[in-house]
Amino acid sequence: MAYELNGATIEHDEEGYLTDLSQWNEELAVILAKDEKIEMNDEHWEVVNFLRNYYDEYQIAPAIRVLVKALKKTMGKEKGSNKYLYTLFPYGPAKQACKIAGLPKPTGCI
Amino acid sequence: MLTIFYAVLFYVATLTFVGGLALRIYQYATTPAPLKIPTTPGPTTRTGVVFRMFREVAFFESLFKSNKWIWVFSALFHAGLLLVVLRHLRYFTQPVWFWVELIQPIGIYAGFAMLIGLIGLFIRRIVVAMVRYISSPSDYLMLLLLIFIGISGAMMKFVSPVDVVAVKQFFLGLMVFDWKPLPSDFPLLVHLSLVALLMIIFPFSKLLHAPGIFFSPTRYQVDNPREKRHIVAWAADLEK
Amino acid sequence: MTEETKTINHDEYLDPLKMAELVPGCMSELHSFEAKPEHQEKLGYPGGLVDDWHDKAIDKMGDLVSKYKGLRVFLDSCVKCGACADKCHYGMGTGDPKNMPVARQDLFRSVYRRYFTTAGKYLPKLVGARDLTEDVLDEWYNYFHQCSQCRRCSVYCPYGIDTAEISMAAREILDTVGKGQKYCNEIIGKVHELGNNLGLPDKALRATLEDFEEDLEEETGLEIKLPLDVKGADILLVTPSADFFAEPHIDGLLGYAKVFHEAGATWTLSTTASEAANFGMFIGSYENMRKVSLRIRKAAEELGVKRIIFGECGHAWRVAYSFLNTLAGPFDFLDRRYPVPQHICEYTWDLIERDIIKFDKSKNDEYRLTFHDSCNVARASRMGDKPGGQFDIPRNILKAACNHYFDMEEDTIKEATVCCGGGGGLLTDDLMDLRKKGASPRMKALSNVRKEHGVTHMAAICAICKSQFAKVMPGYDFEIDSILSVHQMVSNAIILTGAIDPVEDDDDDEIPAAAPDAAATT
Repeated sequence: MAYELNGATIEHDEEGYLTDLSQWNEELAVILAKDEKIEMNDEHWEVVNFLRNYYDEYQIAPAIRVLVKALKKTMGKEKGSNKYLYTLFPYGPAKQACKIAGLPKPTGCI
Repeated sequence: MLTIFYAVLFYVATLTFVGGLALRIYQYATTPAPLKIPTTPGPTTRTGVVFRMFREVAFFESLFKSNKWIWVFSALFHAGLLLVVLRHLRYFTQPVWFWVELIQPIGIYAGFAMLIGLIGLFIRRIVVAMVRYISSPSDYLMLLLLIFIGISGAMMKFVSPVDVVAVKQFFLGLMVFDWKPLPSDFPLLVHLSLVALLMIIFPFSKLLHAPGIFFSPTRYQVDNPREKRHIVAWAADLEK
Repeated sequence: MTEETKTINHDEYLDPLKMAELVPGCMSELHSFEAKPEHQEKLGYPGGLVDDWHDKAIDKMGDLVSKYKGLRVFLDSCVKCGACADKCHYGMGTGDPKNMPVARQDLFRSVYRRYFTTAGKYLPKLVGARDLTEDVLDEWYNYFHQCSQCRRCSVYCPYGIDTAEISMAAREILDTVGKGQKYCNEIIGKVHELGNNLGLPDKALRATLEDFEEDLEEETGLEIKLPLDVKGADILLVTPSADFFAEPHIDGLLGYAKVFHEAGATWTLSTTASEAANFGMFIGSYENMRKVSLRIRKAAEELGVKRIIFGECGHAWRVAYSFLNTLAGPFDFLDRRYPVPQHICEYTWDLIERDIIKFDKSKNDEYRLTFHDSCNVARASRMGDKPGGQFDIPRNILKAACNHYFDMEEDTIKEATVCCGGGGGLLTDDLMDLRKKGASPRMKALSNVRKEHGVTHMAAICAICKSQFAKVMPGYDFEIDSILSVHQMVSNAIILTGAIDPVEDDDDDEIPAAAPDAAATT
């Protein structure tokens, strides 16, 4: 179970999440997104970058409510909404966006 | 010869039945129940539990909620069996107790009720796909055993009567180790053999549901875990 | 909801409890991800299948049978009457005969008979006894992870046989020989390490709560707090960590905060006990369940609180109500005028009864509401003084907070409630097919009440239920935010002394609004 990138193999778990988070880079994110049938655009990157920064600081992905609030500030009310997040990441922002951002899958009763 | 065989058979059967059952009950009674797991809503007092258990044992309350057909057949069978067994007390008492005398006529109908119930359960086991799927050979055989006990019993009443006085002498004798001759009518021998067999397999089979119900934590436990701390020995050891 | 949609349409009635056609083996391949060595070892289990798994498994079975009266009695007592056969939501939804409770039990009972009963030792074929093989172990793994331990079968069994107990025992044996489930065991490891299922570190929890406080202030103009680790507070609130993270769970948490605020109570959350859930129960491990429970006691002692209250979480309430006193008691250091522990619904309902909190019900007029009884609350716990309080109290709260409340069909609620399909450690993506099928009885009952009464939303008091429904509801033409927290309804309608009227939020993120991620993350 691994992704191929420039001849290197990058391990992932049963569900496609990276086993070693430090191996993430932007090129890999594009590949991860393709697996999810997502073509990365600026808004996708905005979300992914927010998630990565948040994770750097807190060692966990943010609650979606926190993410939406942050996006409202940067992208405006129109795009900073849950609904819009779903158009960006149809299978659910946390799950898909975390995977593309190279973060571990959130666990628990969620 | 025949008398000796059946006498020994019944001693063995009785010992196995009583001893085996006593052992099981001892086991059930002494196995700890570390957690409170009554199925709720449940009674919050001991008295409430007594009522719950009574409704369960006397009226098959849970079964009634579940499936009316099974309930009807098993109620017929169990109530029938109870009356039939009580009716048979006349073979072991001299003079026959008053109330046993009284239920003699009802006992006959009860025999039919029991058979109808058993046959209903047997047909269900074959016809209903879900029940057929979960049935092992022993599940069919157990019903057949009971059915043949009922049929052989009914035959003695309605087809070829046996000398019940002699049968009674035999059993009264057995109880005081004074063996009296047993009549050799075929239905009687079948009837007695099957009953002995039933007694022997009782403590080794699913018939343990009879004592089991009284030790089922989902039914006998009081719903009061917040009011009263429940802790068993092996769990208390973890706290040391 | 318009009047037209409330018209009863009998043609479209779906029988919620209808058994799917039996298809033997149709779910036999469903194999939830197995735990990795690092997940296993944190819980004290071997990292992979051990060499002497056979003997170890049989030893463990003997050990469990001697330690659990229920297990022993249940294994001996079943007469295969079939009363339970059509009572399991996974049976109804999948049609796999091994998802009939009695058949699921028999996967275990057949082995018990072979090794522990006279009949099974000498006449295995006759009584359906069989050897424990690696295939049997796999079969256990697959089918005991298709049981949500919801206890519906135990209601209908004439002997009260509870498949949940057998399922727990089977999982405990599987763990003991090194074959654990990833979802449960990874999570229990996180609780031992970080205090909650999510793996939410203290810093993140604090930041998240501050964020919510800002939201609350913006909404109400009041300084409604979500206190963390406050020593000397009266109440310790222990709530599922999903309440800090997922939708609609968060709205429930905000509801609790408003209730505490309006009641003038001093309360606190704890970083070390930042989780109500106790998956130790799911895996049948007394030791793990105890360890997880003890940290709640420790937090209560350290913070010096007088009361412990649990948030909306189904199995957690079972562990709290039924087991906490056993596992972590006695609680002599708490104020014994209050039950230990209490459910947030008991707390809120008491305040409503005493007129301490009041509602503007019209705030919830957009909702036509029903209530889903969570399995563990319904059949394994109580609220209030009387049996059945666990059914009445949440309903009373909802009726106090909104004008339009309708129950679903009688044989799918209260003690007969059908599980959401995600309980018992099954709320994981790798079991999605099962989850959807297992939810079908509830979703059919919900569809019926929509047709009959125009119901738009369903409230629940369980983190798992909420996440699960957010995922399966779209399949039945419900929006993912049609599932609500009970305290979300409280939050919407509670009259807060001194609050400003909330500004109407006119952006349109209401439709998939709240719920989505809850659904998607697992």
